[in-house]
Amino acid sequence: MKITQERIESLAPEYVLGTLQGHARRRFQQWMMDSAEVRREVWFWEEKLSQLALVIPAEQPPASVWEAIETRLWPSRATAPVKARPKAGFSWLLPGWSLMATAAALVLAVLLMQQPAPEPEAPWSALTGAIVQADVDQPLWLVSEDSRSQFLHLRPVAAAQPEADKDYELWVVPEDDAAPISLGVIPVSRDRYQITLTPEVREALERSRTLAISLEPQGGSPSGAPTGPILHVTTLYEL
Amino acid sequence: MQDEIRQSELISLLGAVAQQDRQAFHRLYQQVAGRMFGLCRKLTGQQELAEEALQDAFIRIWHHAGEYHSERGAPLSWMMTIARNRTLDLMRSRKVHQGASNEVIDIMEDERAGPLDATLHQDGSAALAMCLDELSQNQRDSVLLSYYRGFTHEELAEFLGTPIGTIKSWIRRGLIAVRRCLER
Repeated sequence: MKITQERIESLAPEYVLGTLQGHARRRFQQWMMDSAEVRREVWFWEEKLSQLALVIPAEQPPASVWEAIETRLWPSRATAPVKARPKAGFSWLLPGWSLMATAAALVLAVLLMQQPAPEPEAPWSALTGAIVQADVDQPLWLVSEDSRSQFLHLRPVAAAQPEADKDYELWVVPEDDAAPISLGVIPVSRDRYQITLTPEVREALERSRTLAISLEPQGGSPSGAPTGPILHVTTLYEL
Repeated sequence: MQDEIRQSELISLLGAVAQQDRQAFHRLYQQVAGRMFGLCRKLTGQQELAEEALQDAFIRIWHHAGEYHSERGAPLSWMMTIARNRTLDLMRSRKVHQGASNEVIDIMEDERAGPLDATLHQDGSAALAMCLDELSQNQRDSVLLSYYRGFTHEELAEFLGTPIGTIKSWIRRGLIAVRRCLER
């Protein structure tokens, strides 16, 4: 369907209102990516309709909400007990695991990458691994993390393009059943990709050494938590 | 003036959050969480789901604060939109519906007598309130029920006992009329 001014004007408010759904909504999201004019119309309506929300009386959330946010973002620092979320921590992997069990072709393995020469003066560690699939000769992605830098390096090798309107999103799976931490959408076609790790995220990764990749709507999970199937889970090894 | 100060403060807090400033993030939360939670609660009618939506919304704000810019409207509008979208996602993924058909009259009365008439005019949103007032009652009810309760076309058709094609037409024409009215 061609983008026309008339269609933009009739679909943008319904997109913002939430009554545009299903295929029409996905198609409109694609339009938003393609057209600044579409995005501006959406922003216009977001601004206008949100005025309806501003007149709802404010209601103070319980303190546990902020504590839960802190725990999800910075799991190693939070000390307050957190109310369990339905999809928190490793429990959210379970549907993914069962999915993998049915997709028998998919097997996880870990490959060691070449070890860089250590520097004697500073103790350091490096985590490394690969995300592989049984029916693909080469690893899909190679991953390495070096405690001397703030980066996680990712190298797509044999990763295939996700289906249309989808992206792969990388997650740190922390210990202690804490909610996964997004490292963002990852590419399949770049030579080398670098993700900046905050000290907290790096600490969570170094403790759990577990990464996961989920299939998400284009642009990544809308919620900050995995919404799609878990395609891969891998454990990194210390060099 | 108060609003301008508040807006610029929120913009600078968002800028700091984009730089991973946790204290700024906490201040931002203290400033806007109440408003966002009020919206989440109104949409879901459920404490627990609203709390979860609020958590998710702030996680998203933490990760995406750098994407805010002035073309997206006021910073509070941007954050309220995130809160509403996340609440709708949760409601729809969990198949949460608020109210039952015999409550629909109360809901509509609530929206009509609710914030719009009393407060919206005083809140810098007079143009929107005026344009909504110009809609037919059916158009206005459909738009407001959709906004405040997150009703889909199908849910509106069921709640209002009206064919879905009619509902779609009320909403589409209502929103186009609001757009034209706001341009005047």
